[in-house]
Amino acid sequence: MTAITLTSLTKRYGTITAVDDVDLTLPDGEITALLGPSGCGKTTTLKLIGGLLTPTAGTVAFDGIDQRDVRAEHRGAVMVFQDHLLFPYLSVGDNVAFGLRMRGVGARQRRRQAEEMLARVGLPDTADRHPDELSGGQRQRVALARALVVEPRVLLLDEPLASLDPHLRDGMRELILDIQREEQVTTVVVTHDQEEAAVLADRVAIMFDGRIAQVGTARELHDRPADAEVARFLGSPNLLPGVRSGRIVETAAGALEVPHGTAQDGPVLVTIRPEAIVVAPASGPNILAGRVRDARDLGARVQVTVAVGDTQLTLVTRPDALRALLPGSDVRIRLPADALWAMPAPDPAAELAFRQDVVEGVAPVDAGTRTQGAADADR
Amino acid sequence: MRTLLHDERLRPWLLLAPALTVVGVLAGGAIVQAAVRSVSPVRGSGETGLTLSAYRSLLADPELPRSLLLTLYLATTSTLLAVVLGIAAALALRQVAARSRWLTTVFQLPLPIPHVVGAVAVLALLGQSGLFSRIAGSAGLIDDAASFPALVFDPLAIGILAEYTWKEVPFVGIVALALLRSSRVTEQEAAARSLGAGPWQRLRHVTLPLVLPGVLSVAVIVFAFSFGAFEVPLLLGASFPETLPVMAFRRHTDISLAARPEALALSLLMAAVAVACVALAMRVARRTIREEGR
Amino acid sequence: MTATATPLPPAQPRRTATGRGRHLRDDTGRSWTARVVVTVVIAGILLPLVPLLLSSFARGYFHPQVVPETWSLRAWQIALGPGAATWSALVASVVVAGVVSLISLALGLPAGRALGLYRFRGRRVVEFLLLAPVLVPPIAIAIGLHGVFLRLGLTGSVTAVVLVHLVPVLPYVVLILAGAFANLDPAFEDQARSLGAGRLAVLWTVTLPSIAPGLVTAALFGFLVSWGQYALTLVIGGGRVVTLPILIFASASGGDTAVTSALALFATLPALAILLINAHAVRDRAAPLGGVR
Repeated sequence: MTAITLTSLTKRYGTITAVDDVDLTLPDGEITALLGPSGCGKTTTLKLIGGLLTPTAGTVAFDGIDQRDVRAEHRGAVMVFQDHLLFPYLSVGDNVAFGLRMRGVGARQRRRQAEEMLARVGLPDTADRHPDELSGGQRQRVALARALVVEPRVLLLDEPLASLDPHLRDGMRELILDIQREEQVTTVVVTHDQEEAAVLADRVAIMFDGRIAQVGTARELHDRPADAEVARFLGSPNLLPGVRSGRIVETAAGALEVPHGTAQDGPVLVTIRPEAIVVAPASGPNILAGRVRDARDLGARVQVTVAVGDTQLTLVTRPDALRALLPGSDVRIRLPADALWAMPAPDPAAELAFRQDVVEGVAPVDAGTRTQGAADADR
Repeated sequence: MRTLLHDERLRPWLLLAPALTVVGVLAGGAIVQAAVRSVSPVRGSGETGLTLSAYRSLLADPELPRSLLLTLYLATTSTLLAVVLGIAAALALRQVAARSRWLTTVFQLPLPIPHVVGAVAVLALLGQSGLFSRIAGSAGLIDDAASFPALVFDPLAIGILAEYTWKEVPFVGIVALALLRSSRVTEQEAAARSLGAGPWQRLRHVTLPLVLPGVLSVAVIVFAFSFGAFEVPLLLGASFPETLPVMAFRRHTDISLAARPEALALSLLMAAVAVACVALAMRVARRTIREEGR
Repeated sequence: MTATATPLPPAQPRRTATGRGRHLRDDTGRSWTARVVVTVVIAGILLPLVPLLLSSFARGYFHPQVVPETWSLRAWQIALGPGAATWSALVASVVVAGVVSLISLALGLPAGRALGLYRFRGRRVVEFLLLAPVLVPPIAIAIGLHGVFLRLGLTGSVTAVVLVHLVPVLPYVVLILAGAFANLDPAFEDQARSLGAGRLAVLWTVTLPSIAPGLVTAALFGFLVSWGQYALTLVIGGGRVVTLPILIFASASGGDTAVTSALALFATLPALAILLINAHAVRDRAAPLGGVR
């Protein structure tokens, strides 16, 4: 019912630019995720869409209609906050009915609709309870019910799973997907977790420093990151600087055939996912000889670091390969050409800063070891 | 206006403006008026321009230093009494009254009672025809009311101090009690206990250092109140020397118009002394607390 | 909103093999001292009210009678008889304190919000400017404002008394409300707006309920500070605005002792009622009346 268009959307606080000239279209009835690290401006963007903040510049349009003069309470874009924010002085039922009360719906009708919606989110007969009596997962469901009961044009979810214990996340995720599928309400999900974005969203917009870095399906972002920053945020440990001439990129580890990505000759950055690298005894194109530096048994899989000259590559393989991959042993690995992706080389200053981050252990190295659940600082 | 309201930096100032304006106009107006009128010549005195004669005659008054000393004595003594007894009462109440809301409520009883009422009550208790005097008389300790020792209108101002103590101990105590019951304090005490600190050690090294900074801000208010109190010394104080507020009021209502500028000058002086004392006390106390913390 | 620490159960030391029994005994020992201290403190608080009660119900209460020989309601009949000055003084006190309290809330809500929710440069200066008038002796404020109000033709009016009472009351109300706002998560307001609440609805359904305990405390505190004022009312009211403290003082300095006692006790009653209601309403929430932060 509602397509959202952000045009040159900008929000500044003093000298800090939280959202920087964002252009983005969120198609009607789809779920779009805003993915990015803490403080990247994703929650600010969400609040700008909901009218809870006023843009410094640019516009938010619903179905082509500029929402500049439409206040938050009249936009029909309902936000569900990370911390459920149930009003502690209202019962569960009154919480769910809050939006209906604001719209002047009569008490009996409110009650009926609230109970229906509570049943729908799997919490029948809880209307007379106090929010304190519910578990964290149940409260989050109530918050969702409270938003859905007003039949919003747009649903804005701020880290809907982050405050939940891991074992509760699946249920909530299924609930959001089920309801969204039925209602077809245009939904924006803010998250710092790429898996959450991948599972929930039709499309993912990745944000850094207030700017949109790339928009696409989770698969597209994963396999074909637009630049080094996106690749790193998504947890790609293998980034090889090189120089392209034709199909071949000359890297410190050797010459590689890279058919995809930036086609222009000159400096590029080549990436490959750890799970795409094959331990290969034979010889052939894109095969490199290296030495095993380290092999870690992660249970379901083994993570191996291989040094090829001065370059380190990380690969993930099956546990049964562990015996052959003792540290110090020689190994041959193949980087399949279709899995390699060339990106524009980042400017040297940014590259230097990143290397220092890696040394200090700040930058993400692998998706599995990143700290989860970090709250979005720009709330 | 819309953009003005949405400027996050201006927002708090816009919200503060009404309250600050009212306080500023009233309190500021009072001070400015006092300053201007205290240096303006009295009508009919023949003087023109600005004059410091009010200050001159005020400072020449031999009563002023004695009044100042009395006022400072009262303020300091009553503040110390209120802090020491208030904390002691709060510590005791925390142990005993946790079960009984009634004890805490009775403890707060003097808080909402006007000082005038407190003064009347102290008079009926400590005055020469008061309850104590009657008990002493019935027991044959004194022959008549006049031979009961002067506890009111006396040079040590015991009656005034009694009234201040009655009102201010609960004030300090209730704030100290809230601090003592906070989890911040109870958890630190538990930690100290697990490290082997005995009850007195816990009190000395954990509880008091945690509670004192909060009590200090209340002590400032108690000091300022005692320093500026008017009706209590007027009812319970000796006629000589008077406290500064009483002295100022007498000059304000003096039939001689010449005394008016002196009342205003004295008002300014009191304001300056009160603020200076508070500033000094807070500096000293902060430093002491900081050194204690080492 | 600090949770009250659960007290140890009344002393019945369990003798266990662990160190726990020793700790309990340790506390028991202290609680005897504590009981003595509390008894003395409570006695000291109630004691001054005893002679007021005795003398207000006495007839011919001559020295050295402790308990009056003759009881009488005379003083109470004079103090509370129809047409007694007490009733008009009560009305004046209630009107002044009520209006002062309401105005302080109206001005204090935005100011408290600014101090409680915003971090901005100059915040400490504002707090000092607000507190400074509280430190200045009220009589100094009154004498200074007397001239201003005289020129405005306001002296002796209820309006002038209300205005001058704002000087000591408003700062406290602002600071109490600032403390209440500091505990408010503004995201709740955003949530309400997002669900369709307009500005007034947000104030009414979210902001005020969220700060309700602080709001009640601020209102009562403001009322009581105004209720007890003497010096400001005397100088600015110029004897024409007679509140209860003014009436009691006049009676104390030259009136009938028994009647003064009755008046003094009467003036405590509304204050006591408020205290009891407050103690009841804010139970289990720390720092009721004294909770100025």
